[in-house]
Amino acid sequence: MGEKYFHSVVLNDDNCVGCTSCLKICPTEAIRLREGKARIIGEKCIDCGECIRICPNHAKSAVTDTLEILNKFKYTIAIPSLVLYGQFPGKVGINKMLTAVKNVGFDEVYEASVGTEIITNVIKNHMLKNPNIKRPIINSTCPATLRLIQIRFPELLPNVADIETPMEIAARLAKADAVKKTGLTMEEIGVVFISPCTARMTSVTNPLGIEKSYIDGVLSMKAIFGEILRNIDSCKEEDITRSTKESLLWPLVGGQGEPLEIENYLAVDGIHEVIKVLEEVEMDKLDGLEFFEGMACIGGCAGGPLTIENPFIARSRMKALAKELPNSAADEDEIKEQIQMYKDGLIRLTEHIEPRAIMRLDDDISKSMKKMEMIKEMLKYLPGIDCGVCGAPTCRAFAEDIVKGENHKAICIVKTMESFKNKK
Amino acid sequence: MEDMIYVFDVEKDDFVRAGEASSNIKKILRQLGIDSGFIRKISIATYEAEMNIVIHSLGGQITLEVTPDFIKVTASDRGPGIADLELAMQEGYSTATEKVREMGFGAGMGLPNMKKCSDRFRVESSAEKGTVIAMEVDLKAGD
Repeated sequence: MGEKYFHSVVLNDDNCVGCTSCLKICPTEAIRLREGKARIIGEKCIDCGECIRICPNHAKSAVTDTLEILNKFKYTIAIPSLVLYGQFPGKVGINKMLTAVKNVGFDEVYEASVGTEIITNVIKNHMLKNPNIKRPIINSTCPATLRLIQIRFPELLPNVADIETPMEIAARLAKADAVKKTGLTMEEIGVVFISPCTARMTSVTNPLGIEKSYIDGVLSMKAIFGEILRNIDSCKEEDITRSTKESLLWPLVGGQGEPLEIENYLAVDGIHEVIKVLEEVEMDKLDGLEFFEGMACIGGCAGGPLTIENPFIARSRMKALAKELPNSAADEDEIKEQIQMYKDGLIRLTEHIEPRAIMRLDDDISKSMKKMEMIKEMLKYLPGIDCGVCGAPTCRAFAEDIVKGENHKAICIVKTMESFKNKK
Repeated sequence: MEDMIYVFDVEKDDFVRAGEASSNIKKILRQLGIDSGFIRKISIATYEAEMNIVIHSLGGQITLEVTPDFIKVTASDRGPGIADLELAMQEGYSTATEKVREMGFGAGMGLPNMKKCSDRFRVESSAEKGTVIAMEVDLKAGD
């Protein structure tokens, strides 16, 4: 635990009643109750935000920046996640939304759609044409899925498409454009992402696959939504959007696989389902699969823990908006240029992503084996009902914590009650 | 140090639980801290063996044995045995029924895949005693 693993998911102790909801939903068993409060085990957390979503007492939230960050720069650019377009009730057009975002206090709004188009073009026209690239190619765009692969499916790391996210690509292009336009230096220009996603926040502070993020700050979509909404009717609409049909559908599950125009792709949403299907991929059970799109949130990014609208409603709105938009139309030269950018390492994941074996009981195999035997013995005596009252999500996790020496005060209440009854 | 042994029962035609033994074995190996490359090989081989017991046999069991040097998975069943072992070892040869094939199994790659994934592979089969498949993966050699 500690500083080594930065996480955007945090707990507000005052609100936590120790109810075990988050304990049970966590896909990596990264939460324990200690002294009646939920604790996140930093090394195991993938920032998926499942705990934020389930907490009935709103005790979990995400650390993000505040609007004050705008004061740190001479020129500021907002990149709103594309799912922002699904958050507004009624008939609000995209340009109106983007103008409202700008009027929160930014000098410019830049759309992430630029990035989605480039990624699709590079995967479709370069990666899928090269048979030497490992299949299935796995999307690198969902940061929670990426961290999941790192800790749980390290054998699949070579399959991850080594291309940056739309947010990073857009940030890079936005900054370069702004330098030209304003004459300011890179450092004087601040790019701020408006995020539906907790894991995205983490990947800016603590990036995977790239050395440093081009994003200077992240605002939670939830936190800033009120400001945007207030501006909707008061501002004069500007012509900003360059989004296409494909780019608007891109953050919804299937939106990355579909435009590749291949038969054999698979799109899975919801972290627990993503785990199940990756198990199959790891076992080579999905013969001939070309592309795997894993999205940790239900419905894709529209289901992000920092969104306002229900993911299904947001999806339907985005689909309606997409109908009005033109089709994506990069010509051959543009695509060539984009592939060159990728080949030159500009929009590529250049840093090696290290596997992290968090499941192991000990670094030494024979010690692990001894611990495993101890767990096996303990499980014979534990009730096996996974009630969570002891603070661990399952009886097995309870036993693991004991043999790993991580819980010295462990008591199984069910077992204690039983022996009390028997004594009587 | 004593070796670790785990035994899992596998029932005939039980498609609900099919795959459970190999998935449990995978979990155990992960916790032991075995290199993920070895885990993948063993899991694939074990899964194939497990599905063979479900589809073709009268039921049986899978035994996992872990030593610091190698991992051994033994799949044994109660019959009816493999009629022609030489044929069964050929890629693509299958005796699976149409129904099983429709479920995505029985492509005739089972035994060849198991062999490919193991460093040592042994199969014995007779109508009376059933089939025993022993697969070992070394933990030290190469990658």
